[in-house]
Amino acid sequence: MSTATDNHASQTLPARPKELAMHFDNLHQQFHSGKLGMWLFLGQELLFFCGLFTAYAVYRGNHQDLFHYCHWFLDWKLGAVNTVVLLVSSLTAAWSVRCAQLEQRTGLLITLALTFICAGAFMVVKYFEYTHKLHIGATWGGSFSVATEDLPAQLLERYPDMTGEKLKTMGAGTFFAIYFCMTGLHGIHVLVGMGIYIWLFIRALKGHFNRRYYGAVDNVALYWHIVDIIWIFLFPMLYLIG
Amino acid sequence: MSEAAHTESHDHGHHEGLPGTIGHVTPVSTLIKVILSLLVLTVITVAIAQVDLGKFNIVGAVGVACIKATIVSLWFMHLRYDKRFNFWILVGSMLLVAWMIGYILFDTALYQNNLREYKQDKAAPATP
Amino acid sequence: MAGGVVEKPADPAAGGDVYRPLAVNYINKFKGIGNWLITLDHKRIGIMYLGAVTFALLLGGLFAILLRTELLFPGTAANPEVIASNDWYNKFFTLHGAVMVFLFIIPGIPASMGNFILPMQLGAKDLALPRVNLMSLWLYWIGTVFFIGVLVLGGLDTGWTLYPPYSSGRDVQLTLIFAYTAVFILGFSSILTGLNFIVTMHKLRPPGMGMYDMPLFLWALYATSLIQVLATPVIGITLGLSIVEHLFKIGIFLPEYGGDPVMYQHFFWFYSHPAVYIMVLPAMGVQSEIIATFSRKHVFGYKAIAWSSIAIAAIGFIVWGHHMFVSGQSPTAGIIFSFLTFLVAIPSAIKVFNWVATLYKGSIDLKTPMIYGLNFIYLFGVGGLTGLFLASTANNVHLHDTYFVIAHFHMVMVGSVLNAFLGGVHLWWPKMTGRMYSEFWGRIAAIFVFLGFNLAFMPQFVAGTRGMPRRYANYLDEFTIFHQLSTIGAYLLGLGVVIQVTYLIHSLFKGKQAPPNPWGASSLEWQSDSPPDHHNFTAKPIVMGPYDYENWEYVSENRGWVLKREVVETRKTLAKADH
Repeated sequence: MSTATDNHASQTLPARPKELAMHFDNLHQQFHSGKLGMWLFLGQELLFFCGLFTAYAVYRGNHQDLFHYCHWFLDWKLGAVNTVVLLVSSLTAAWSVRCAQLEQRTGLLITLALTFICAGAFMVVKYFEYTHKLHIGATWGGSFSVATEDLPAQLLERYPDMTGEKLKTMGAGTFFAIYFCMTGLHGIHVLVGMGIYIWLFIRALKGHFNRRYYGAVDNVALYWHIVDIIWIFLFPMLYLIG
Repeated sequence: MSEAAHTESHDHGHHEGLPGTIGHVTPVSTLIKVILSLLVLTVITVAIAQVDLGKFNIVGAVGVACIKATIVSLWFMHLRYDKRFNFWILVGSMLLVAWMIGYILFDTALYQNNLREYKQDKAAPATP
Repeated sequence: MAGGVVEKPADPAAGGDVYRPLAVNYINKFKGIGNWLITLDHKRIGIMYLGAVTFALLLGGLFAILLRTELLFPGTAANPEVIASNDWYNKFFTLHGAVMVFLFIIPGIPASMGNFILPMQLGAKDLALPRVNLMSLWLYWIGTVFFIGVLVLGGLDTGWTLYPPYSSGRDVQLTLIFAYTAVFILGFSSILTGLNFIVTMHKLRPPGMGMYDMPLFLWALYATSLIQVLATPVIGITLGLSIVEHLFKIGIFLPEYGGDPVMYQHFFWFYSHPAVYIMVLPAMGVQSEIIATFSRKHVFGYKAIAWSSIAIAAIGFIVWGHHMFVSGQSPTAGIIFSFLTFLVAIPSAIKVFNWVATLYKGSIDLKTPMIYGLNFIYLFGVGGLTGLFLASTANNVHLHDTYFVIAHFHMVMVGSVLNAFLGGVHLWWPKMTGRMYSEFWGRIAAIFVFLGFNLAFMPQFVAGTRGMPRRYANYLDEFTIFHQLSTIGAYLLGLGVVIQVTYLIHSLFKGKQAPPNPWGASSLEWQSDSPPDHHNFTAKPIVMGPYDYENWEYVSENRGWVLKREVVETRKTLAKADH
């Protein structure tokens, strides 16, 4: 509500903590309400991504050969590097919650910053992957057109008579449509997460958090772990298996 | 599940931490164990993919990913120590995800045959 | 305490038999439009939602009137148009459907009445996440602006489902992108509302109120919220992909780029079938409150009604394929979905039987909300039973996309939801505004709505079984009588709504002061003032069963119903003993 004070309660009860919103009775209630809200949001996120996973499953089921050829376009080494980077950022995110609970302010600032840096590193790698694909013309839908000499070496090794034109008529554009949608939506989530970590860092700098009021750190970490979990699935499904 | 009459005694399982801390504090040793197991599982998933197992490649890849996701949610996301209801939200949404993927996959696989027949029928008059 | 103990005999010092409303209430506490736009008060947000969805109802209703007018006469070859070209007819039914579904029925009851009433029925000061609530309202407005953009830019003719075969095969169409964006944004508004409701019901119940002590309206909202949170993201990703697809030609759903249009339908109905229960479950919740209150009897089969809401929500997720019986879905899937669809009838029937059993030997008071409640039972009965015809694949092939389907889902979605919406507005109008509306005009309008509704849709069942397909601007002469009856019915229905809007607005200025509890209802919101305080209650409400009508006694028209003195005393003693 527009005012955060509650005149009726403040006369009879001991002073309310300043972090406690007027419609809650205590900080426990407030913390667990926020957390339940975040978990419901995460459930929503899973079903949001579910559409893309379904599209992946359907097209993979119907065009197995295509997925086999096209996965060579993705460099699994870069994917693995990104996996490790995101796993480490998950560790620092979990650690930042611990720091907030123990009121270790320096530790909190360091872990928040590290999480942000890892997320940034992830996006840099992603940027190089994307620009390479756009450069050789490995794009979505009808716009897919890769010259035969630009095909991945591993693909040509196994199938020497493969050409870019052949892949195009097989519908390689669909694979890249799914690849770009899945990693793109995931990338948007990473960017949003980076923005929120800046906000958290500023709040931590101002000393807003303590052992009974750190819901924001905890909930953002939960969000960050879900982003990580989605990548845990995307990496093998897109980069590794063909 | 009402929090209105919540008392401190409801909180359980903090071995360390300041008095009155809300929630469970994960020890550093646990954090390290979790990240190490995640990294090992990443290596395993890459290794499995190098071997051609046919259909079992995807089973292996998704299977290992599920184990990793479980580890992340139980320890990094505190579900092991959290309110039970949060756990059920995750399980419930995963069930729905499985149901949606499973059923649509099942149906599209079935109607591919209809599509094929349709295309053959359509092609037939051209080559009498 | 508001609506509290009345002195008997009247104590002149305490104001006697005169109810004095609060001088400062949630409406006049803060002034200025700016305060409304950024308010975190659930009551104000609920009121703004109520205004917005009513606007959407009138807009969608206007399109309905337009398209019914076009169908008043069959077109001839020489002169096919009655009032509009075929092209515009297509736009009318698309916009009628889209505005009604996405802007009115889905947010309608939960966002307006749910927002206002839910925290009050829990005796809470606000929803658990007030800022999320404000964000949901703003998203709703932004979505509405996009829809208005669709209108301004020349409309849309794909049908409200936006299926790819209709929406593809042309240049990028700005109105289509706008429509996708609007629904995408409205979806997130809906998710945030649902999320907030679940958290509030879990965390803000007062001591002494378990889940089984909540009014059934809240159980219905709980089930609704589960669907909102878990199904709506799927339409989000579907429409998000559709936007990307139209802009970049990527080929997920559009056949010309190698996409699969049947998969769009799967995705769409994975949300939109549960969405039917997002519409109807809150309506059933309002219905339970109305029937019990105006029968003055504890609702029959509380747990059965509560759990049937959850059952409907759960079953709602496993029946979506019955919208696709003739769209290229495999026959095997069709058979399975047909069997599953019949399951929905069980929890729906449980509810209807329990309402009827609540009426049995109740002291029925035919106030305006109750008339809507009775309308609901009848129309939902007809709509629900015709749903069983459509659930069997053999019938469905013949009836699919005929007026039979139109009549069926209007009976369920509009017959029940519109009636419950109007009933709920009348039930809580005194609480929201502090004014009583004209009971006489209320009843007249309710009867108009009932008659108009039946006249509009009963002939459509007949026309449909005789083969009248939906979405056609013209028809054969033999269908003329059905269409004309139907159009007259639509006019009557429209007239009923216009009468209502008129007397409700009139009551804001000239209506009598409403007492805190004009109906003798027993859920906690009736222990607050009318209109309520900024913090909802000036004293902590006495927690008791939502259907304990025996705790209340009627005093006078001015004071309404008040808690019996002995109830207050007993509760006070119990509270002391607890300490």
